[in-house]
Amino acid sequence: MNLLSFYSRNSAELLGLTWQHVYLVVVSTGAAIVVGVPLGIALTRRPAWRAPVLGLANVFQTIPSLALLGFLIPFFGIGAWTAITALILYALLPIIRNTYTGIAGVDPAVREAGRGMGMTDGELLRLVELPLAAGVILAGIRVATVVSVGVATIGAAIGAGGLGVYIFRGVATVDDTLIMAGALPAALLALAADAVLGIAQRRLAWQR
Amino acid sequence: MAAIGGRVLLTVALLLGACGRHDRIVVGAKNFTESDLLAEIVAQQIERRLHVPVERRLHLGGTFVCHQAILAGQIDLYVEYSGTAFTAVLKHPPVVERDSVFHQVASEYSRQFGLRWLTAFGFDNTFAILVRAADAERYGLKAISDLSRVAPRWHAGFGYEFLERADGFAGLSRVYGLHFAAPPTAMDLGLTYRALADRKVDVIAGNSTDGQIAALHLVALEDDRHYFPPYEAAPVVRAGTLERYAGLARALEELGGKISDDEMRRLNAAADVEHRDIRTIAHEWLEAHVP
Amino acid sequence: MTAAVDVRGLAYALPGDGRTLVQNVSFTVGPGETLVLLGRSGSGKTTTLKLINRLLEPTAGEVLVAGEPAAALEPTRLRRRIGYVIQEVGLFPHFTVAQNIGLVPRLEGWPADRIAARVRELLALVGLDPAAFLTRYPHQLSGGQRQRVGVARALAADPPLLLLDEPFGALDPITRVELQREFRGLEGRLGKGMVFVTHDVREGLLLGTRIGLMQEGRLLFLGTPEEFRGSTQPEAVAFMSAVDPGPAARG
Repeated sequence: MNLLSFYSRNSAELLGLTWQHVYLVVVSTGAAIVVGVPLGIALTRRPAWRAPVLGLANVFQTIPSLALLGFLIPFFGIGAWTAITALILYALLPIIRNTYTGIAGVDPAVREAGRGMGMTDGELLRLVELPLAAGVILAGIRVATVVSVGVATIGAAIGAGGLGVYIFRGVATVDDTLIMAGALPAALLALAADAVLGIAQRRLAWQR
Repeated sequence: MAAIGGRVLLTVALLLGACGRHDRIVVGAKNFTESDLLAEIVAQQIERRLHVPVERRLHLGGTFVCHQAILAGQIDLYVEYSGTAFTAVLKHPPVVERDSVFHQVASEYSRQFGLRWLTAFGFDNTFAILVRAADAERYGLKAISDLSRVAPRWHAGFGYEFLERADGFAGLSRVYGLHFAAPPTAMDLGLTYRALADRKVDVIAGNSTDGQIAALHLVALEDDRHYFPPYEAAPVVRAGTLERYAGLARALEELGGKISDDEMRRLNAAADVEHRDIRTIAHEWLEAHVP
Repeated sequence: MTAAVDVRGLAYALPGDGRTLVQNVSFTVGPGETLVLLGRSGSGKTTTLKLINRLLEPTAGEVLVAGEPAAALEPTRLRRRIGYVIQEVGLFPHFTVAQNIGLVPRLEGWPADRIAARVRELLALVGLDPAAFLTRYPHQLSGGQRQRVGVARALAADPPLLLLDEPFGALDPITRVELQREFRGLEGRLGKGMVFVTHDVREGLLLGTRIGLMQEGRLLFLGTPEEFRGSTQPEAVAFMSAVDPGPAARG
């Protein structure tokens, strides 16, 4: 098949682009977790913040990917960091929202018993709320990751590299093999991420 | 299987305007300003001479997208460049016999594709290898050969088509012995100017008639080894469309030889630098030059 | 001997509209005594309980736990010295029975073997076979078993005071009676002070050393069950008449 011979001729480039793609997704999702999970936790402590924070994250999600990249170019220029910024903004909503829902969904009796027993807020969070919410939080991370793999392909339009490079080259030259050469591994990456995180999620989900 | 998928993709993308096609002429354009401008001039010329409705499909895609579109009949005509047709479409190696290029392209297009090349507009829009004026001064860069000195320390940025075309980056780096620090960054063609101006890359391949070259303080390096063929712009029309619309050929021939290099640059600058409306620019130009 | 808890002039007003839920409540509970706070829904008995372990902050009055002013302690430190049992139990679903019971000792830094021994001891105390129950999870327990674990958990760090908020209210009648009887047996042996909130008169009469009747945030009556039975206080009379006189009295 055309595709296989393309891959064997360009294996180094394929590996390079795949690595770039993985890098974009991992860095951005990691940053979104570092920012989003604490924010989600904060929302459970400060109800007044809920509407503005979730609202803002929702706004970012609604902006079409290419448009968001276009908005960011004047500030960050072209390249991987602009794409990573866009990916972080996209990943925030599912992560913040699921962190909030996961923790808020903990049985109020459990929380009251914990407080009544003399657990500090930190101990309650660490020993009770986060472990019980872990499954839901991970579901949010899973959604964010899978979406990121897809949106990262568009980053190639602004010089961010990744598997989208093959896709754009193929579209420019009407070369189906090239298009598939990029689309197929990207899809496989998304499926793999979904499967792996799905397993992790099932392990961590607790019966209430 | 993948080939069918690509065809389907293209057809779906083009189907948007392809309903009720018998009563109008569809003019396509490639995905950069100059192509849109020329298409608009052509479209308005057809409208005022033939009084036939014209549908514009501007900024359609690159060379290959437009070529597939005109072959499939999704568009009736678009403006192509002789050198591009010669190397990218007909896949001939770049040649030094500059005068024969147009003639060869016209006869092969007619024979192979049933497409007619009409009279060229009169300018040569060749690839311009661009660097920042400050760098040109600092490193004494006048011709593309000079680039091989600084290439190992520099980064290049190109659009996707230039990276794939036979007369594009591959041939250029071979003929001039250019070895850059890393493989060139690929990005949407429109972004390359900004990338160069923002110092994200050090050299790009623009068009010699682009309006932004002066505005962004860029310098075009001379093609001292004559790597690039001539790129003369002319309307390319389906033979069937010419037959169906009497007077179409004559109307378009009126535009032949009317735009010089400088004139094209002026028109491009009006659109890209002054941000004026393409329709207005085309209208004013036609009123002034083709009464 | 120091009282397990000493409450003086306790009051609580809502922060928003200033409505008083508890007014001028005073009582003392010694070690080995159980004070039953009895009253209708909304009488302020649960609020009073929460004022003792500072889940709510009193707007007036004083609370002394084992002789120490509650207000002077860090709330979490205070609560570790008070056992707290609630109606819904609130066991941590992701901890085993052993981990649930051992939580406060673990937070207090007890060595692992001391915790293990204490957990075994408490399981036996509340009538659960340690071998069978140590590694079970809450979802594998019946309602009655869960509340037994809840009580064991409250006793783990050997607090001088126990607060119980309608602990048997969510159980079926048979299990409820069973647990009440066992609890009565436990009371004497533990030597701790207990404040037990309920709206069930019979439960109160059975388990209380003294009864504190509350209505609209005030303590109307404070005395022994016998005194309560004979009281002419209108609210007390109302409660007594609501007690089911028995099958023989039914027509």
